[in-house]
Amino acid sequence: MTAPAPPASRLRSGLGYWWHSYRMMLRWEVTSLRMVLAITVIVQILTGAGFVLALSLFFGQVPPRSALFVSTGVLVVTLITIGLVLGPQLVAMQKAEKTYDFLWSLPVPRTTAALAWVTTNLILGLPGMGVALGVAVMRYDLDLHVTWAIVPAVLLTVFTGTMVGYALAHSLGNPMLIAAITQMLIFVIIGFSPINFPADHLPGWLAAAHRWLPLAPMADTVRAGLTQGVVADVARSYLVLGAWGLASVGVSAAVLGKRG
Amino acid sequence: MTALPVPVTRRGAAYWLAGYRGMLRFDLASAREWLVPFTLVQVLMGAGMAIIYGFYLGDMPPRAATFVATGAPTLAVIPLGMALAPSLVAGRRIEGTYDFMWSLPVPRLTAALSSFTLFTLLAAPGFAASLGIAAWRYDLDLHVSASVLPGVLLCSLMAASVGFAVGHAVASPALVNVVTNLVIFVVLMFSPIAFPIEHFPGWLAAAHRVLPFWHMAQVVRASLTDGLVTGVAASYLVLGAWTVAAWLLAAWAVGRRR
Repeated sequence: MTAPAPPASRLRSGLGYWWHSYRMMLRWEVTSLRMVLAITVIVQILTGAGFVLALSLFFGQVPPRSALFVSTGVLVVTLITIGLVLGPQLVAMQKAEKTYDFLWSLPVPRTTAALAWVTTNLILGLPGMGVALGVAVMRYDLDLHVTWAIVPAVLLTVFTGTMVGYALAHSLGNPMLIAAITQMLIFVIIGFSPINFPADHLPGWLAAAHRWLPLAPMADTVRAGLTQGVVADVARSYLVLGAWGLASVGVSAAVLGKRG
Repeated sequence: MTALPVPVTRRGAAYWLAGYRGMLRFDLASAREWLVPFTLVQVLMGAGMAIIYGFYLGDMPPRAATFVATGAPTLAVIPLGMALAPSLVAGRRIEGTYDFMWSLPVPRLTAALSSFTLFTLLAAPGFAASLGIAAWRYDLDLHVSASVLPGVLLCSLMAASVGFAVGHAVASPALVNVVTNLVIFVVLMFSPIAFPIEHFPGWLAAAHRVLPFWHMAQVVRASLTDGLVTGVAASYLVLGAWTVAAWLLAAWAVGRRR
C-alpha cells in the first residue's frame, strides 16, 4: 500500500510566481467579463462618439475651443468610467452575491489582482478612446499636436482612475451605497468637472475644488499630450494625479491587507 | 351559526371608485421607498442637465439660455414616466409580485388609472424645481401662462402611459431595462428638447416630428414663453395620439390571457 503523495511544495514567492499569477488573474478578469465585454465596449464607443456629435447638434456652431475640449475630454471619460463606475459596481455585485470572499481566497498575490484589473481597464478603454478621437477629428477641424506625452498620461489616468474606484469599492461595505456613489460620480464626471469643457466655465469655488481632485488633472495630462498651448502647468497635474494614485493604492492595501 | 358573507356587487360606479381609491392608496404606499431618491433624480436630470449644457458652451446667448431653461422641466418629466414606470413593472416581475397585483379584486382599469395618477402627481415637484433652478441660473424672465397646466398634465400623462404600456407589453425585465436606458440616452443626447430643432439634420428632425419628445418640449415651452413656439396645436394632437396608442397597447397587454 502506498502512502498518499505529499502535496507538491511550490515556492509561493518570487518574480516568476508573481508574473504567473498576474497572467492568471488577467485571464480571470477578461473571462469573467466576457458576457458584458462586447456590450461595454459598444456602449463606450457610442457614448464617446455620441458626446462629440451631440455637441454640434445642440449648439449648431460649436466654438473651436469648446470643440477641442470636448473632443479631448471625452477620451478621458471613456478611459475612467469603467474603473470608477463599472468596477465598483462589479465589486458591489460580488459582495451582494457573496462571491467576494471567494475571489480573495485565490492563491495569488493581491497586487496581481489589482494590476490585472488595471490592465483590463486599459484594454476596455482604448477602443472607445480611439473611436472618439477619430470621430472628433472627422467632425471638427481640430488643431491636434500628438506627442509621446500621451502614453504616460493615458497610463497614469487609467491607473489612478481604476485605483480610486478600487479603493472606494473595497473600503465601502454596503453594495447599495457603492451603487449610489458611482451613479453620482458619472454625473459629476460628465457634468460638473472640467474634463469636457474648460475650468473657467465652472463657478469659481467648483473650479478651485477641482484643482485638488483627480478628475481635472486626468483631463489636463491627457489634453497636454494631444494639444499645444492649451494646458498650463502639466507638472502640477501629474503630481496631483500621482498623489491620488498612491493614496488609493495605500487605502486599498490597508483594507485588503487586514484580516477579516 | 355563523352569518353568511354579505354579497357585494362587483360593479357600478361606487365599486369602481372604491377600487380606484384603494389602488391609489396601495400605489402611494409602495412608492414611499423610492419617492425621495427619485425626486432627486428628476431634479438632477432637469435642472442638472440645464446647468451642465451651460458649462459645455460657456457663454450662452439669451435665446439659447431660454431654450435650455424651458427644456429643463421636460427633461425632468421624461425619466419619471418613461424610465421609472416600466422599471417598476419589470421589478414586480422579478420579485414575482406581478401576478399578485392582477389578482387584487379591483377592475384592471382602476389599477392602470391609479398608476397614471401617481406618476402625473409625482411629476409636479420635479417640474417646478427644475424650472425654478434653471430660470434662476440663467436669470430669465418667463411668461408663464395658464396653458402650463394642461401642457404639463398631458406630457406627464403621455410619458406615464407609454412607460406603463412598455412595462406591461415587454415581458422580459432585461429588455425593459435596455429600452429605458436607450430612451434616456436618446433623450439626453439626440433630442431637440433644450435646443432648437433647426440645429438637427433633416432626417433626425423628421424623426422627432413623429416621436413625442420634441412635442413635449414644444407644449411646455409654449406655456412658459411668448412668441418662441409656433404650431403648438399640432404638438398637443401628437401627444394625444401617443397617449391613446399607449392606452390601446396597455389594454391589449393587460387584458390578454396567458
